[in-house]
Amino acid sequence: MTMSIRTPAWSRSIKLQVWARGKDFALIRVLEGGPRETGMMTLKREKQLWTWLPQAGRVMKLPSGMMGDSWMGSDFTNDDLVRGDSFVDDFQAAITGVEKTGGRDAWRVVLRPRPSAVVVWDRIEVLIDRANCLPVLEDFFDEDGTLARRMAFSDFRQIGWRLFPFKMTVVPAEQGRETSIAYSEIQFDVDIPADTFSLQRLRQGR
Amino acid sequence: MLLKMAWRNIWRNRRRTLISVAALALGVTAIVSLRSIFEVSSTEMARGITTGLIGHAQVHGRGYQDSPEMTNVVPDPVTVEARLANALPGVTTERRVVGAGLAGSEDVSAPVAVLGIEAEKPGARSLLTIVQGRTLDAARPREVVIGTGLARELGLSPGGEMILVGQAADGSLANDRYTVIGTADAGSSEANQTMVFMRLADAQSFFGLGEGVHQIIVRLPTGDEDLSRPVSVLSGALDLSALEILPWTSILPELKGALDAKRKNMRLIDVIVFLIVSLGILNTMTMSTFERTREFGVMASLGTRPRRVLAMVLAEALMQGVIGLCAGAALAWVVLNAIGTTDFSSMTAGTDVLGVRIPPMRLSVTAGPVVEAALVTFVTMIVGALAPAIRASRLKPVEATRYV
Repeated sequence: MTMSIRTPAWSRSIKLQVWARGKDFALIRVLEGGPRETGMMTLKREKQLWTWLPQAGRVMKLPSGMMGDSWMGSDFTNDDLVRGDSFVDDFQAAITGVEKTGGRDAWRVVLRPRPSAVVVWDRIEVLIDRANCLPVLEDFFDEDGTLARRMAFSDFRQIGWRLFPFKMTVVPAEQGRETSIAYSEIQFDVDIPADTFSLQRLRQGR
Repeated sequence: MLLKMAWRNIWRNRRRTLISVAALALGVTAIVSLRSIFEVSSTEMARGITTGLIGHAQVHGRGYQDSPEMTNVVPDPVTVEARLANALPGVTTERRVVGAGLAGSEDVSAPVAVLGIEAEKPGARSLLTIVQGRTLDAARPREVVIGTGLARELGLSPGGEMILVGQAADGSLANDRYTVIGTADAGSSEANQTMVFMRLADAQSFFGLGEGVHQIIVRLPTGDEDLSRPVSVLSGALDLSALEILPWTSILPELKGALDAKRKNMRLIDVIVFLIVSLGILNTMTMSTFERTREFGVMASLGTRPRRVLAMVLAEALMQGVIGLCAGAALAWVVLNAIGTTDFSSMTAGTDVLGVRIPPMRLSVTAGPVVEAALVTFVTMIVGALAPAIRASRLKPVEATRYV
């Protein structure tokens, strides 16, 4: 897949390959990026992130205080990688209405954090396509109730029995920034070697 | 003859004169010492700033001071430095790269501030007080000196390996490995907790800046406090559509503000001290003229003009003033030498993340405060003695000679 980042100062794209098992294990590898980035890998093991730094030739664990920071200069945070789908655990959902979006019916679902959840958002409003139950748009509101970032899903394609959004775009409130991810290929139900998500393997930079 | 009489008069009541002279002397001591401490400390502070991290002035890419972006650089420092040196011969310059990142080892890491410095220049070297190991060497790449607090947090000591990750100017993820060659006291605990120093060239390549630098530190050959003239001369040589040049007073406005406020407070203390002293003088002179009412009557009947009486009483006051001033200044000198040195580093606390190093300073009596105290003493004595003097000069001979 390709991640494109646009900011007022620069814009660039990097090519990534991702392996994932369930929600807890993932490995992201930079196939083509800046000269010092190619070969960089980010390993997600449950709630922790480890990075292989090709130039340094070393692995570094991301400190917990940096979870809210940008991942590789994009508008995705490290937290986005780690939390992924913890919406169910952290939020209380309520359907507030039905709207038309792109000619299709969609539910507007408002997610409010449960008291126990460690969440930076005041609420998240999600538009979910009624026909296929997939999210189309997610609006994140910060504690003042202002829209802090918008995540949009598009280019839905049928892969086997699944329908999958091939394009994901994040637009933060900050002017002139945008990050989008476009999948070029995706395979489901693949056998992944067991050591793919091991730290030993990451340390070797392979 | 008039001065001789005045001199003799003030010693007629020796105890009273000594007391009022002592009061005056103490007032002068207080003011001269406070002023001197302040003058010395502000000069030293300015010296600490201008010879240290900040410099007399800095050249940045336009808008860098307000929002320091990695991408906002002075792209061709060589040209800029040549122009500065041309505009004002004698200025010295240093290039700096300022960045941020995450430093550590596999398991521990901490956010850091990275400062790329020209290690071969003495001004840059003076930023680092090496605690352990050695300082940067311009000829040896990929070495870093880190703050003592950071070294403790990351468990690093000279010889250790430090991984650094950050975002380069083109947005890519910069990462590299360095050898820690020393730990340093960077001037404040915050600085010690966050600072990573490396060679300018290493920092430029890490952040992908090419020849670009974030700051050009400008140091002037003189220690002038007023920077507006040199800065305007220098700014005339620069392309101000792309660059900015700022004196340290604009880079650390809080510190400048603190100094100005302190100066104002000092004025208020002056006024209060001398108000008290002048009331004392008023009292002394009133007493001494009342006591001598008959004497003034006799003088007047012998044909002394009121103006001469007035002059004589004022002369008595001024003589006491001169004695008090000399005694006070001498006492201040003794006091300041007894205190010896003083540490004003607390004055700069919280004004700058990177810390400004203020060395403990040697105190001395400077001419400025003494001249100032002399002027104020003169005014005080005249004000305190004027009313009694006028009264004495206006006495009617007949009434005064009969006064008991």
